[in-house]
Amino acid sequence: MSLITPEIRASTIASVNPVAKLIAAILLALVLLLSIDWASALVALVLEALLLPFAGLAARQFWLRTAPLWFAAPLACLTTVLYGRDSGDLLWQAGFVSVTEGSVSLGVAIGVRILAIGLPGIVLFATTDPTDLADGLGQVLRLPSRFVIGGLAGLRLVGLFIEDWRFLALARRARGVGDSNLVSRIAGQGFSLLVLSVRRGSKLATAMEAKGFGSRRERTWARESTFGRREWTLVAIAVVIAVLAVTLAVALGTWKFVLS
Amino acid sequence: MNMATTSITRQPRAFSARWRVVDIVVASVIGVASGVIFWAWGLAWTPLSAALAFAPGLAGLLAGGWLFAGVLGGIVIRKPGAALFTEVVAAVVSMLVGTQWGFSTLIWGVVEGLGAELVLAAFLYSNWRLGVVLLSGAGAGVAVGLLDTNFTDYAALDFGFKAVYFVSAVASGIVIAGLLSWLAARGLARAGALSRFASGRLAAVDGESEPVRSDSGTEATSTP
Repeated sequence: MSLITPEIRASTIASVNPVAKLIAAILLALVLLLSIDWASALVALVLEALLLPFAGLAARQFWLRTAPLWFAAPLACLTTVLYGRDSGDLLWQAGFVSVTEGSVSLGVAIGVRILAIGLPGIVLFATTDPTDLADGLGQVLRLPSRFVIGGLAGLRLVGLFIEDWRFLALARRARGVGDSNLVSRIAGQGFSLLVLSVRRGSKLATAMEAKGFGSRRERTWARESTFGRREWTLVAIAVVIAVLAVTLAVALGTWKFVLS
Repeated sequence: MNMATTSITRQPRAFSARWRVVDIVVASVIGVASGVIFWAWGLAWTPLSAALAFAPGLAGLLAGGWLFAGVLGGIVIRKPGAALFTEVVAAVVSMLVGTQWGFSTLIWGVVEGLGAELVLAAFLYSNWRLGVVLLSGAGAGVAVGLLDTNFTDYAALDFGFKAVYFVSAVASGIVIAGLLSWLAARGLARAGALSRFASGRLAAVDGESEPVRSDSGTEATSTP
């Protein structure tokens, strides 16, 4: 539960409309995905690191949430160095594994790129309350409110699912079911949870309909979601980072479009 | 007793494309539950793919772990867009918890969802047999295969490795996303959890065309 609904501290970023964060992070990710080179990724990463203190994310939360990145980056780097497209001088070879100057520089680029694409998304989302996001999606982006609120309702059930999981484990233990091996225990318990959650969802839908949710009338919103100067600033910062990264990479001659 | 049950049993309604509230909520519940699994799979993926790194390209076999949400949502809800919606919700949830792929998770979710959705749409949302479901899983596999071999770290691999990756991603989509989702949906229908859905109701009505599900129908009628 603590991972799904993080403690969000008041900070500059936390108060920005989640839609702006979404736009900013998608923009950066899209631009960085277009090329595999160390320069564009490194420029973006350095600029992002400079902005990190403004995110208002506690150090523990930061490391906890970005942990997958710190594992993945070196591993992806290693895989690419060993099996990446070869070019330049041969440095080491064993069987079909070959390390060349080209594959080493590719590997470094891949490692940095994972961090540059991953960090802004994780940090911006870690400071976002799902309810604010739903409000923004419904009011700013004008997505269909039934789907936005219905999606949020599903998300809010996660806490219950975690409790269900614990009770299922206890019940199965009391009945002596599924003690034999881990795989069958998780599969069986997972399916039970799926049945429970679909039932719970159906019941929740009935309750929501009883309260008038999903009528064809225009929906009004309790919490107003606005898109103002701070939001545009965040998007502008993302644009500046993206433009700087691409310009410097092209100037240094390292820009390499993925599809070419 | 028999007559009473048959009069209660509804005829399958005409297909309606409009989503009911229960469609939306259950689709997002399935999406959220799958999203948590996506996230856990993302953690397991790092060591697993590292183990497979000595057989480059075979890591595609792991891709199916992120493809089942769309297929499962599509065949349970049976509405246009259900596969796409469920897969996107699942992707967003795993992203909210925090994956190593950041916002690209959302892009991948959209494309994978479309892969599964297009197959279901090609059959006009009216054929839900095993073959179509497997094909839908393959559609998601093709989508992720194309994305991964062009835009991720795998783009830097040699062509042979990429081809192996693509084929194994499709195979993984067929088995994990297609077959497993079909089994899960059938299990849900048998457990009676889908009583408000065509996917659960039809099982009782046309038991003959889908023999595997007929037992829930006979159970209801053969207890006088």
